[in-house]
Amino acid sequence: MSAINTIAFKPALCDGCGECMTACSTVKSVNGSAAQSRIQIIADPLKGSWELALCRQCGDPRCVADCPAAALSKEANGGLISWDAEKCVNCLLCTAGCVYAGIAFSADEGRVVKCDQCGGDPQCVKACPTQALTYLTSASIYNRWGDLEDLFVPGLGGCQGCNTEIVMRHTLRRVGSNTVLATPPGCIPGMGSVGYNGMAGTKVPVFHPLLTNTASMLTGIRRQFKRKGRNVTAMALAGDGGAGDVGFQSLSGAAERGEEILFVCVDNEGYMNTGAQRSGSTPYGAWTATTPLGTEAHGKVQDSKNMPLLMMWHRCAYVATASTAFMEDLYEKLEKALAASDHGFAYLHIYSPCTSGWRFPSGNNIEVARKAVETNFAILWEYQPDQGLRLSRPIDKPLPVVEYLKLLGKFKHLDAAQIQHIENHVAEQTKLFSELAGIGKGVERLAAAAPLSAGHERSSVSERLTR
Amino acid sequence: MSAVLKPKNKVLVCDGNEAAAWGVVLSRPDMVAGYPITPQSSLVEYLAQFIADGVLDAEMVEAEGEHSVLSVLQGAALAGGRTYTASCGQGLAFMFEPYFRTPNLRLPIVMSIVTRDGISPQCVWGGQQDAMTVREVGWIQMFCETVQEVLDTTVMAYKIAENHSVMLPVNVNHDGNYLSNGIVRIELPDQDEVDQYLGDKDVNWHVALDPQRPMAVDPLTGGSAGTGPALFTRYRQGQCEGMQNSLGVIVEAHKEWAQRFGRSFAPLIEEYRLEDADYAIITIGSMAGAGKDVVDAARNRGERVGLIKIKTMRPFPIDAMAAALNKVRAVGVVDRSVCFGWNSGPVFQETLAAMYYARERIPCLSMIGGLAGADLTEVHFERAVRETAKLLAGPCPRQPIWLNAQD
Repeated sequence: MSAINTIAFKPALCDGCGECMTACSTVKSVNGSAAQSRIQIIADPLKGSWELALCRQCGDPRCVADCPAAALSKEANGGLISWDAEKCVNCLLCTAGCVYAGIAFSADEGRVVKCDQCGGDPQCVKACPTQALTYLTSASIYNRWGDLEDLFVPGLGGCQGCNTEIVMRHTLRRVGSNTVLATPPGCIPGMGSVGYNGMAGTKVPVFHPLLTNTASMLTGIRRQFKRKGRNVTAMALAGDGGAGDVGFQSLSGAAERGEEILFVCVDNEGYMNTGAQRSGSTPYGAWTATTPLGTEAHGKVQDSKNMPLLMMWHRCAYVATASTAFMEDLYEKLEKALAASDHGFAYLHIYSPCTSGWRFPSGNNIEVARKAVETNFAILWEYQPDQGLRLSRPIDKPLPVVEYLKLLGKFKHLDAAQIQHIENHVAEQTKLFSELAGIGKGVERLAAAAPLSAGHERSSVSERLTR
Repeated sequence: MSAVLKPKNKVLVCDGNEAAAWGVVLSRPDMVAGYPITPQSSLVEYLAQFIADGVLDAEMVEAEGEHSVLSVLQGAALAGGRTYTASCGQGLAFMFEPYFRTPNLRLPIVMSIVTRDGISPQCVWGGQQDAMTVREVGWIQMFCETVQEVLDTTVMAYKIAENHSVMLPVNVNHDGNYLSNGIVRIELPDQDEVDQYLGDKDVNWHVALDPQRPMAVDPLTGGSAGTGPALFTRYRQGQCEGMQNSLGVIVEAHKEWAQRFGRSFAPLIEEYRLEDADYAIITIGSMAGAGKDVVDAARNRGERVGLIKIKTMRPFPIDAMAAALNKVRAVGVVDRSVCFGWNSGPVFQETLAAMYYARERIPCLSMIGGLAGADLTEVHFERAVRETAKLLAGPCPRQPIWLNAQD
């Protein structure tokens, strides 16, 4: 079984310019006619928008099933549906079965034609001036790591749609079984990583450190194995409270000593396992169980502290922030962190939206994670001592912060001043990271981000927060 | 710090902290972690120097605080390492969270407590308040009387802790200032003999964090339903059994030590000139030396007084104490710390409890001295003997006598 790389389409961004069709026909059609393009943008007069006719490289393709000549097949690697001219009998059954109009008969070429994604470099996506088309290659993660064993038991007791569970399963399967895993008290052991009443929840050696001493216990474990000539990965999956509040001393000490530890902080911005109380990582204005709403109080009154930045100043072997909305980036950073933990302290900070504690529908989880990044609320970057800080994606054109805030129940109550505070904080962080990204060797200094509030329409607060 | 001597030199002139460090060297730990605190600091300095000089082949973790010190050692022990640290006073207080957990994980870690009084008033001097305050947490606790005993007990502690019927951490306690800094002549045991005495390390056969033996360490256990509470209860029961098993193991460890090295120490309770005594004073730690001198002097005057010294405080040697109490008609207990809830000292409280198993209830007086570095001299013990003798004929006061209050 294989996943698919796909060309994704956002109708809202499409202005119907047709550049994609021109680009496709230039490389694919025999006569250069846009009518022969494998991608077609079609006006939908009822909706007043544009629609896409393109092969989706379906996971369970009708065209392949309907083909009586076995001319269409789904490739194991990348999931592309390919067409074999020698087998095709021109019956056109495939065109009848496809609901996306992704395969069509070309009179000019005298055969069916369909998108082959230009061998992994689709020209239509390159040509699109509005970024309505994007090439999603999540299949590469699946294809590369999909066969790895999930090292947690199937039945973890997380909340529905839990983002942290995604982080747990993906990180540990990649890191592998030659690992001792520390999961300090919080959601992770709460959903059963260490297990209950004598039953284990993980297929690698796993334990509850204290909330306070994760990095210290891993220090002892890693050093003892190293002393015995064994290279065992000492890994933590810790919440933001255990990492940045009460556990910060041990974390800082281990980082300063350069202990060889892979420390993954799963940041859900508070003590979500114990009922969503405030932590040092909780953002300004957020409702939590200990920063409640009342006549005298309107959520948290302090900004969050930037834990990954604090870790960077320890000059760790590797520090990065990541998000489950950007899995390829996350995997790339995980790989680097794992490699770095072989010779020094590696700290990976993963933003992990919490459906229960942040108050949003579980189906929105990845969208919340994505919007946090796209608005610069959570900036993705990485740091290596010899390369300095590098931004993982541009931060000079963020979406308005309210696009993120309005997704979350914990921000529902914000007034204009509070939103302004958050916008200012995000702008300040954006500027700071732009400047920090200029520090490293060979990294061009990025232009400081423009103040966010200036570029966006200042409509009424209630309107801006309306879902 | 004195010049580092190689183990081949059999005689040393050193203080208790260096003696403890030599005990550690001879025990060949895999990992030592430390954080400085008066009056323990020179102990970890010695160890750091020993490692720097190649006298000791061990990992040294200079942690950022005592909390991490013990946590590092827990990790090392779970990965199979023999481990050591030392602390005291506020350091021990700060360490309490992992300290509390170490016996519950059944990790045979050895830690010296260079005993120190507790703040406030702000104080950096000796006293046993730190060790006594944590006596109920599940560590085995032994108190040393002399610098030589510090070294010897440090080695013995590993044999006791790692015994399969025990598997519990051990505190080897020596008095801050008096033993930590008092310099005397001691003898260093032969390394080969110590190796034979201790045998192979076998630290994590029962619980491990090792990819070659994957297991979940410490799953959530308990609650009001299912098998959890029973599992938890049996676990605690096993811990208490291990603690009781250690009494015999401590005795055997001392016996074998005497056979191999020719030095014997009372493993649980020392009875000093008790056979024909009418009454006795009870002591713990380094003060026993002054106490014994005063007992000798009183004996020369014809008074039938003896001394009972506690070496093993946890587990409390109830039977040995009851047997000692059976030999006298009154006791006076000199504590170097305070039991706030009983308006007395903790050893006094323990003595009362053990007396339930003695033949009869005898008068028992609490005396408290040696706090905050105060010396307990012959003058104080003469008073202790005098006050205890009064119990034979008169009433037994309910209030403690504060020995250094008028110094």
